[in-house]
Amino acid sequence: MEDLRTKRKGKILAVKDLPTLPPVLDEITKMIEDEHCTPKQIAEVIAKDQVLSAKVLKMVNSPVYGFPRRITTIQHAIVLLGFNVIRGIIISTSVFDVMSQAMVGLWEHSLGCATISKIIAEELGLKDPEEFAVAGLLHDIGKVVIAIQLPEEKEEIQKLVAKEDITYLEAEKKVLGFGHDRVNSWLADHWNLPLPTKVALTYHHNPESAEFYEKFAKIVHVADFITKVLEIGNSGDELLNTLSKKDFVDIGLSFKKLAKIMDRVLEDIIEVLTFIPK
Amino acid sequence: MQKIPLDKAKAGMVLAKPVLKENGMVLIAEGTELKENHFSILKKQGIKFIVVKGTPLDLGEGAYGFSLKKRLDRLDYLFRKHQNDPWMQKVKEFFKVYFTYQIKKSKTEK
Repeated sequence: MEDLRTKRKGKILAVKDLPTLPPVLDEITKMIEDEHCTPKQIAEVIAKDQVLSAKVLKMVNSPVYGFPRRITTIQHAIVLLGFNVIRGIIISTSVFDVMSQAMVGLWEHSLGCATISKIIAEELGLKDPEEFAVAGLLHDIGKVVIAIQLPEEKEEIQKLVAKEDITYLEAEKKVLGFGHDRVNSWLADHWNLPLPTKVALTYHHNPESAEFYEKFAKIVHVADFITKVLEIGNSGDELLNTLSKKDFVDIGLSFKKLAKIMDRVLEDIIEVLTFIPK
Repeated sequence: MQKIPLDKAKAGMVLAKPVLKENGMVLIAEGTELKENHFSILKKQGIKFIVVKGTPLDLGEGAYGFSLKKRLDRLDYLFRKHQNDPWMQKVKEFFKVYFTYQIKKSKTEK
C-alpha cells in the first residue's frame, strides 16, 4: 500500500509533464523571489507570451476580482494585485485550460468559490481580499491534477461517489489513500506557493488542523460550502460536507452577515455564470 | 441592485453604481436613468456589464441557468446526510428562508 501511494504521489508530481504549464512560470517564480525585480521586468516576461498575457488580463478583469474599471496592461495588474496573485492566476488558467475535458464544471465551481471567498473577506473587512480569491480559485486544483495524471483512478472515484453516496473527498481517500487536499499540499510545495495559499489549499476541508493563516482555510471552507449550496459549476459532489460551526463563528460570521454575503453573491452571479475565461 | 450584461439593459433602468472608463474617470454617474443614446457610448467604451437598481433579471424563475426556485427545491437533497445534525439543520433553514424571501422579492420587483 505504501509503495503504491509513493508511486501515485510520484505520478501526480510529474506535473512538469502537464503540457499546459507555460515555460515562463519558472522564470517568473525565480524573479518573484529576487527582491530587486520590478513589476515592469516581470510584466515584460509575461508579455512575451501573448496568449498567456491575454488570459491573465481576462482573469484580472473577471467578476472574481471585480475591479470597477478595465485593467489593460500586465504591469498595472501586477501593481494592483501583487506578484503572488498574478502567479496564482497563471497557474490556474494554465491548468484549468485542460479542465473542461478533465472534470466538467470544476472550473466554474472554482470561479464561484474564488468570487465568494473574495466577497466574504471584504465583508469581514480583511485586507487584500484578492489573496483569498486566488486561494479559492486554486482550492480544488488537486482534483484536476488527479484527473489528468491518474485518469483511471478518477473514474473509480466518480463511480464510488455515486455507488456509496459519499463525498468526493471520502471516495478519493478510499481509492487513492489520500484526498485532493493532500495533493494540493504537494503541489503548493512543488510550485512554491506562498504559505497562506498553501494553508487554504491544504486545509479547506479541515481548517482546525491549520497552525497558522487559518483564516485562509476557514474562508475558503465557507466559500466552498456556499458554492456547493448554489451548485455553481460542479465540484464532483452532490452532497454537502459539514460546514464547520466553529470556523464559521471564529471568522466572525453570523446568519445576518451570511445574508449580506448572499445578497452580494446574487448581485454578481450572472457575471460569474457568463464568464468563460478562454 | 444587480449586475447585468449590457445587452440586457434597457432605457429607463437606473444605474446603482457609476460606469467607469479605463482611466478611472466616471463615464456615466450613479443614479442616472439610462436613455437610448447611452447604449452606443457604453458599447464604444467596451463596457460589458453594468450595475442597475432593482433585479430586472428574475433569478426566481431562472436566468442563465440559475434559478432560486431550483435552489430551494435542491436543499433537501443536498443536506440529506445531515438530518441528525442540529447545526446543519439550522444552516439549511437559513438558506430555505433566504431563498424563499428572494423569490418573493423578485416577484414583487417585477
